[in-house]
Amino acid sequence: MNFFALKRRTVIWFAAISVAVNGFFPVVWIFLTSLKTETELIRSPITWLPEAATLANYETAFTAQPILRFMWNSLVVATASTALCVLVSALAAYALTRLRMPHRNLIMSVLLAVAMFPLISLMVPLFKVMRELGLLNTYFALILPYAVLSMPVCTLVMASFFQDIPPDLEAAAMVDGCSRVGALFRVVVPLSAPGVFTAAILAFVNAWDEFLLALTMMNRVNMRTLSVGITLYQGEFAFPWPLISAALIIAIVPICILIAAFQERVVGGLTAGGVKG
Amino acid sequence: MTDSAISSKKDLSERALGALLLLPAALLLLGIVVYPIATLFWSSLHGVDNANVAAGEQWIGLGNYLRAFEDDRFWASSWHTVLYIIVTVPASLVVGLGLALLANLPFRWQWPVRLGLLLPWALPLVFAGLIFRWFFEYQTGVVNDVIVRLGFEPLQWLSSPNLAIAAICITIIWKSSSFMALMLLAGLQTIPKSLYEAAEVDGASRWQQFTEITLPMLRPAIFVALIFRTITAIQTFDIPYAMTGGGPGDATETLAMYIHKTTLDFLDFGYGSALAALMFVLSMAATSGYLKYTRRSAGRGEE
Repeated sequence: MNFFALKRRTVIWFAAISVAVNGFFPVVWIFLTSLKTETELIRSPITWLPEAATLANYETAFTAQPILRFMWNSLVVATASTALCVLVSALAAYALTRLRMPHRNLIMSVLLAVAMFPLISLMVPLFKVMRELGLLNTYFALILPYAVLSMPVCTLVMASFFQDIPPDLEAAAMVDGCSRVGALFRVVVPLSAPGVFTAAILAFVNAWDEFLLALTMMNRVNMRTLSVGITLYQGEFAFPWPLISAALIIAIVPICILIAAFQERVVGGLTAGGVKG
Repeated sequence: MTDSAISSKKDLSERALGALLLLPAALLLLGIVVYPIATLFWSSLHGVDNANVAAGEQWIGLGNYLRAFEDDRFWASSWHTVLYIIVTVPASLVVGLGLALLANLPFRWQWPVRLGLLLPWALPLVFAGLIFRWFFEYQTGVVNDVIVRLGFEPLQWLSSPNLAIAAICITIIWKSSSFMALMLLAGLQTIPKSLYEAAEVDGASRWQQFTEITLPMLRPAIFVALIFRTITAIQTFDIPYAMTGGGPGDATETLAMYIHKTTLDFLDFGYGSALAALMFVLSMAATSGYLKYTRRSAGRGEE
């Protein structure tokens, strides 16, 4: 009996360690790199732990490129596109779940199909459209497409939450003089706050991580978002890895805080879009 | 009679309201997706005639598509894309399933394990590409360090064509297996415990429980995860862009990277549009397979 208990504990420890190492090792490794000096870096064999840890790379990371400006751009674009996406998706999800609409499944399918559009196909004509409208190098060039790209998953997530709210509550609100749209914002949305919140996190992470459109629509350095800005630390032939690592760590911290704080929501949201849909 | 008249009037107003609520979404879709895609097909039929450059973009019919047919670089980049799909989609499923099974064990502390799956998912693809480029550096990378410590010769990961493709595949598998694991973990947690208890009573081995209960119950989740992965794999761009920039030569270039270069570096919008249109059609074929499946399973749910 004791032997089996021991074996079971071993298996569980092995499982925990392998999942954690797989997930954390790359980030831990660049954190260690970010503390090293260039001279330590080229030693052979390489050192694993930094011998004389230094924060100098972080200082350089802030001065070599306008990384705070990149972060600000990412924040503006991600926040605005998330707000737009959640608002539009909430209206759509309400129409699709709470109203007797014809062709509901067809509309859902069209939405899902959009989620799977290859971004590169969209990038080519969208670049032309934005150029003609003079919107290149403006936040709008990213806010609008990002809002659309996250719309399908946000609609799905919110629809799955809206469905679970008893219609009686809404009816009661309307008897009390609420309009239908009033009931949506005063009853349905507050009651499905976790769903709305989940949708918002997913949209935010999608926008924060996007690279191809950000690379295409913003070619002025001070309009670059973080995901593109990080690639500017490399020289044409030289890769200053400690500096790049420091910049990466600075860029990863906000996203780490976000997912650590809301991990259950994120997991729930990811799977609501896939497994339920 | 009056009842049904009232309810049909109510239906009508509900429809009108529903249409109104769907309007913002529809407008955004039209402006950001439908209209650009329509112009994509239109401009794919245009090009600049080299004999008459001054005339600008002209109607050349299917010329761009015929050109793609004879363009070696188009075929090579398409082949690399297909290669990434057939290697990384099954591999990330296997790795992801392994991670999901491990993460599904009863831990006292759930959050480090969950975070270990979430972090790779939340990391931008470019960051993963940069980090692994650093791992695969010839002299200072950690991968060659481990290889040398084990007593083997270090490998030219990023400057030999085949090894560069392998390095890119490993990175894609690492990045996408966590997403797979998260989707499959949700599927695992819906399997009733009682099934395993019954199997235990009947004397089924662990392996039998896995093949007879876990895998069949997980099939819908596996299918959805595979389709999602395939559709994103068709568009592979960020990771090879960050790791090799398509090199050495064009040895690791994907179709998406070639389209990007054609339009933004070579400024050949007509040809770039034709390539993008081809990719659009390819991707839609995969999507329609997915939709067919979900509609069928949704139909089953309603019965």
